[in-house]
Amino acid sequence: MEVLLGITGKDFTLIAASKAAMRGATVLKAADDKTRSLNKHTLMAFSGEAGDTIQFAEYIQANAQLYSMRNGIDLSPSAVANFVRGELASSLRSRKPYNVNLLLGGVDPITLKPSLYWLDYLASLAPLPYAAHGYAQYYCLSILDKHHHPDIDYEQGLKILRMCTDELKRRLPIDFKGMLVKVITKDGIKEVEYNDDARVACP
Amino acid sequence: MSRRYDSRTTIFSPEGRLYQVEYALEAISHAGTALGILAKDGIVLAAERKVTSKLLEQDTSAEKLYILNDNMICAVAGMTADANILINYARQAAQKYLLTYNEDIPCEQLVRRLCDLKQGYTQHGGLRPFGVSFIYAGYDPQRQFQLYQSNPSGNYGGWKATSVGANNASAQSLLKQDYKEDCDLKEACGMAVKVLSKTMDSTKLSSEKIEFATVGKTKDGRIYHHLWGADEITTLLKEHDLARDETGADGDRVTS
Amino acid sequence: MDTLVAQYSRPMFEKENNYDEDQMDLYNPAPSMSLKFAMPPIAQPSAWLRAATDDHANPDCPIKIAHGTTTLAFRFQGGIIVATDSRATAGNWIASQTVKKVIEINSCLLGTMAGGAADCQYWLAYLGMQCRLYELRHHRRISVAAASKILANLVYSYKGRGLSMGTMCAGVTPSEGPALYYIDSDGTRLAGNMFCVGSGQTFAYGVLDAEYSYDLSEEEALALGSRSILAATHRDAYSGGFINLYHVKEDGWVKHGFNDTNPIFWKTKLEKGEFSNVTSEMV
Repeated sequence: MEVLLGITGKDFTLIAASKAAMRGATVLKAADDKTRSLNKHTLMAFSGEAGDTIQFAEYIQANAQLYSMRNGIDLSPSAVANFVRGELASSLRSRKPYNVNLLLGGVDPITLKPSLYWLDYLASLAPLPYAAHGYAQYYCLSILDKHHHPDIDYEQGLKILRMCTDELKRRLPIDFKGMLVKVITKDGIKEVEYNDDARVACP
Repeated sequence: MSRRYDSRTTIFSPEGRLYQVEYALEAISHAGTALGILAKDGIVLAAERKVTSKLLEQDTSAEKLYILNDNMICAVAGMTADANILINYARQAAQKYLLTYNEDIPCEQLVRRLCDLKQGYTQHGGLRPFGVSFIYAGYDPQRQFQLYQSNPSGNYGGWKATSVGANNASAQSLLKQDYKEDCDLKEACGMAVKVLSKTMDSTKLSSEKIEFATVGKTKDGRIYHHLWGADEITTLLKEHDLARDETGADGDRVTS
Repeated sequence: MDTLVAQYSRPMFEKENNYDEDQMDLYNPAPSMSLKFAMPPIAQPSAWLRAATDDHANPDCPIKIAHGTTTLAFRFQGGIIVATDSRATAGNWIASQTVKKVIEINSCLLGTMAGGAADCQYWLAYLGMQCRLYELRHHRRISVAAASKILANLVYSYKGRGLSMGTMCAGVTPSEGPALYYIDSDGTRLAGNMFCVGSGQTFAYGVLDAEYSYDLSEEEALALGSRSILAATHRDAYSGGFINLYHVKEDGWVKHGFNDTNPIFWKTKLEKGEFSNVTSEMV
């Protein structure tokens, strides 16, 4: 019941991940950060099997940073996404594949175009205007289908995100302890103050 | 004195020199001239093709200019056989990068990959260095149009205009004299043929004697590279009044 | 002893005409006349049925039950909106695109179909019959509460024997006003303001929850109901076809069309700029 959401707008990409770290029927941590920044303008959010997720994310992070050091240029979000896809594809056919699903958000430092990539453990890669992983897909994609436009500004993006998280709170039977929200713009990655306290009831 | 240090590429001479590398450079200075000029909207590469025999098939593919990648071409001066190995290596490196990242390799990275290989042969392996210098012309979104040159030592650098091969010193000084900042591709092409005509033995040129290539941007923003055909080269030569008289050798061949 | 056990363990509908019909209806909503179903001659019919029909566990199962649907109904200031898709699937096969998933039980009562198409069709028709009988006997229309309870008790009496239904009863009576009930084959019966049922329910909930309010105008409510079904037909492979739209008002229901989703989708996309993930660009 981990939630990952991503929304792009005209000059930003929003990435939101649920804050609960769950093992079995227990919440181990209620302020977990399921994201890693890969370079100044690329952020990756991950969900999946415990252990695999962070190992894989930090492996990708290390490789992205190695590239930046070697070449004095950051990889573009699209290059990172394709690199990650390659790693997942080779992992999938290995003795012990990584069971990790990812959202990769970024803003291209040259074209300044925001982008969002959806990847799953089967090494599918899809660039999308908005995306979700897990049960959130079932509730949020129809909302995003209706309310998303490619040229929305940051405030409108947050408003749509709020609609999504409210719906999840309303309909998901398990408390995911609210969302950690980050935004990527041409100036870099920032955490967003996101108030989770409001209760939402079924109509 | 130098004899003792000649045969080993990996040994410095007492003066601190690597003779095999210098000999390689010497070999290149006898090869046909190649030059490159960076313009604001593209790059031109031009090279002298040494016609060794009338019997040689002329229309087989370019022997001095090669495509490395969708975003990059290069001119070769030196041993073509050595160059083929390096070009094949560069093409593979570029494709591997494309496969991994789904975007073209940045120009400098590709140049560096080649130079790392070249450098390796100056230090270990017990073999001779590659006897080729390259001029690279390419484009990437980060640094736009770029012109590089590399030599057998594995050194490389970025240039606005440069040349390698026979008479490269005089070509270089001509370029320095004539180069204008923010010239466009058409002007650069004109400059290239003029410089080439002065460094080559004959003042009148023909499409058989030179090769020409450009990298540029189409109206819709796509990057293209183009190895020129004989008729395009002839047109350019005529424009600058450098074409060889058509009633000469060419005419003979038609009638014979 | 055996006969005693048999008497009490036998389904209730097998007892015929033992007592006053009126009385029986109250206790036993199950059919009284000719509805003796042939059960498979085995110890556990439900396990057998599951083995024969569960195409998730066994893709080669001999019987593919028509499943997969999106239906919704919600109460608002102007009454109740009922909307469904029209696709019937059997496994991966689209069996029909023109199924009527809203059953008109009477002029004031609607039922919706989700789950096994045959189960729903059969038992909602049966419910219609029972409601008509109630009307004839009592000279007034049955309440939605009572109608839904007939169905709930009926399916409960078959619990564990493989029925698969998720239905809603929506209607108005002078005593209750507009009323909405959810009934499923587990025996759950819930009164409520808003339900979405079927494989596409979550997608419909998404759109519906985000803009729902009790004070919606009639026009807005109809649009929202239709848009929610469209959302589900877009994302759920097992929903599609036509949007079947009803409005239950004070003096009965009004039908608002049975419209193809395809032109509605493109109209929505092109005129409102929604569904921006659907592009003609290859990526």
